Amino acid sequence: MEQSLSSGRLIKAPENFLNKDGIKAVFSEAKNGRRDFIRRAFAAAATGAAVPVALAQGNPVPTEGGDPNILNLPAHSVGLGQGVAQNDGYGKPSQYESGVQRRQSPGLTQTTQASVSFAPLQSLFGIVTPSGLHFERHHQGWWDIDPSKHRLMINGMVKAAKVFTLDEIMRLPAVSRFHFIECGANTAVEWGNVAVPTVQYTHGMVSCSEFTGVPLITLLELAGADLKNGKFVLAEGADGSSMTRTIPMSLIKSGEVFVAYGQNGEMLRPEQGYPLRLIVPGIQGVSWVKYLRRIEMGDMPYAAKDEAIHYMDLLPSGQHRQYSGIQECKSVVTTPSGGQVLLDKGFYNITGLAWSGKGKIKKVDVSVDGGRNWRSTRLQGPVMSKALTRFNIDWVWDGKPAIIQSRATDETGFVQPNYKQLRAVRGTRSIYHNNAIQSWLVQENGEVKNVQVS
Amino acid sequence: MFRFRKAVISLALLALAGVATAQSAAKISGLGRDATPKELAAWDIDVRPDFKGLPAGSGTVTQGQDIWEGKCASCHGFFGESGEVFSPIIGGVQPKDLESGHVANLTTPGYPGRTTFMKVATISTVWDFVNRAMPWNAPKTLKTDEVYAVLAFMLNIATIVPDDFTLNEKTIRDVQKRMPNRNGMMTDHALWPGKEFGGTKLPDTRNVACMKDCTPEPKLDSFLPDFARNAHGNLAEQNRLVGAQHGADTTQPELKSGEKACGPQAVRGGTCRWCRCGQAGCQKSSGLAAKKWLSGVPRYEQQNSWASLHRCS
Repeated sequence: MEQSLSSGRLIKAPENFLNKDGIKAVFSEAKNGRRDFIRRAFAAAATGAAVPVALAQGNPVPTEGGDPNILNLPAHSVGLGQGVAQNDGYGKPSQYESGVQRRQSPGLTQTTQASVSFAPLQSLFGIVTPSGLHFERHHQGWWDIDPSKHRLMINGMVKAAKVFTLDEIMRLPAVSRFHFIECGANTAVEWGNVAVPTVQYTHGMVSCSEFTGVPLITLLELAGADLKNGKFVLAEGADGSSMTRTIPMSLIKSGEVFVAYGQNGEMLRPEQGYPLRLIVPGIQGVSWVKYLRRIEMGDMPYAAKDEAIHYMDLLPSGQHRQYSGIQECKSVVTTPSGGQVLLDKGFYNITGLAWSGKGKIKKVDVSVDGGRNWRSTRLQGPVMSKALTRFNIDWVWDGKPAIIQSRATDETGFVQPNYKQLRAVRGTRSIYHNNAIQSWLVQENGEVKNVQVS
Repeated sequence: MFRFRKAVISLALLALAGVATAQSAAKISGLGRDATPKELAAWDIDVRPDFKGLPAGSGTVTQGQDIWEGKCASCHGFFGESGEVFSPIIGGVQPKDLESGHVANLTTPGYPGRTTFMKVATISTVWDFVNRAMPWNAPKTLKTDEVYAVLAFMLNIATIVPDDFTLNEKTIRDVQKRMPNRNGMMTDHALWPGKEFGGTKLPDTRNVACMKDCTPEPKLDSFLPDFARNAHGNLAEQNRLVGAQHGADTTQPELKSGEKACGPQAVRGGTCRWCRCGQAGCQKSSGLAAKKWLSGVPRYEQQNSWASLHRCS
């Protein structure tokens, strides 16, 4: 035991693997030397699937000369499987994936309707967030709105205020684009110190989807909007909060802002604004107004509640930065990350996500010594503007403590800051737009902890 | 920036090779119809900082107090001070702030909270929001005069207007001149795309992508205390069943360096909760136990869980 610990070999931890009764049964059977029973009990625990376990599948050759999972053909190899179109015709994840969920951070909010659930970044691959795991941020609860009754109004500085049905919007020339959406308050709780254990809670208010819809400029032109004198656009939701935000004209004129009904090949999920939401690439999620019902062309900013009371960045001077929308370049290692346990020393693929509200990711570097030395990672294609970018790098863990960090650079040349640099200009009370470099401490016992370093 | 859209359009045209005439947005016809005045009145409810969109009406502090106590106080407290459900609305403003237009407590790092009236620079914002989104469970049900009255009450307990104040579409302009944080906003930063606010394109942090010997030995500044280990639930259940890493079982204390798993004797002894090797009452794991532990074969012959290996009851 001593030797194995010092060499960094990991303790296997089968706690909660079996329930009390199971354990009792296993014991009595084990005493009688019935190993096969024990194996079956393990299998049963796994198929029960209520409790994933921190159990390493060290892959030794058992004494009987082969892995029982190979030697004893399982039911799925010797039986008839299930038929098509089950689950009411809509496929669901495997029962073994039940631990991969979006979750609330305990104590963060006092209601579930003005609250947040975080995407499980530690368990996701690639760059697309499954729609059912997309982070949620609601201001006054979510609704499932009948799309045949939903309307979009365009008014303000336009020749003729217009009303569109979904049928009409879906007849217009459509675009599909991958973009990340990040809440301005992502990583907010970490401004002053470490507050939460895992990447789900530190960074889980970012997601990425392929959205489909109609460029807003098309709708504005159809209404004869005064694009010369119009300087600001108001977007407004149809839900109880009727969220309003001032949308930057430059991103509308560039064609980047669009009115989306599609998400990852299907319609938007209700939690994401079904049937219509605004897509404002690179800008914090609160501007991506859900249940979009109205667009108003105007000539001055609107100072809506979430740009005049919240979503403003307090500086040490006591002044607030207002209309601070861009999500600057940021990255985070998702595996290994906080709350995980490395199963053994040896080879690992460090992987994570990078994004920038100003364009494409140019490079991501990773350090395993707390920022002293860095290596450039492999960026996984496609690398798209204002979309999540996946990075990977090889790592051989020697069993000694390591501090893993990632640092992204975007196509403007901007390099993601560390906490010292960020706090030097913004203090620790800004709440929003924390894009500091994240540190994960890998301890000798294999457990990974959320830490901040200087 | 405008080029981007043109590029998109020309790409679309390429895709439609053979179509002779360019289809610009202006050629789309028959989609969308004119909104009626009634429809506009129903939905165009926003109020701007220059009070464009503000309907005429009025309400007194006293009227507002009645509405407040009936429809607002259960969440926000009788004086708007409650932080139990939402951030507090009232508090933290001092008389001198009304003169300066800067809330002094915003510069006090130790000040416990930041209330609505400490932050908001524009009274139009409060009118607009109460009108569109309050009360919490019945938004848009307040009549125009009721919105004025609720605002009059809030402004009164925020010490911005006197007890006998009547708020209407005219007096609200005077209120704006007394808003305690009216001068507290700045827009000349790099976080708005475009030139409308006279901001800068230069970010306020300037890291460089140093690759070698960049910093001295890193020092741990902040980490979660042990008592918070399980505050977000069992992290083992928040990770996949398989993977390069598994989730840590945070229902159990982690094994610390210098602390080793103890054998079953210690468990039976029950003299310590957490065994340190060498500590009286605890013993190191036997070689046999360790071997079985690491071999990956069933480990339940002697202990009923990993926890009992290193925790004494």
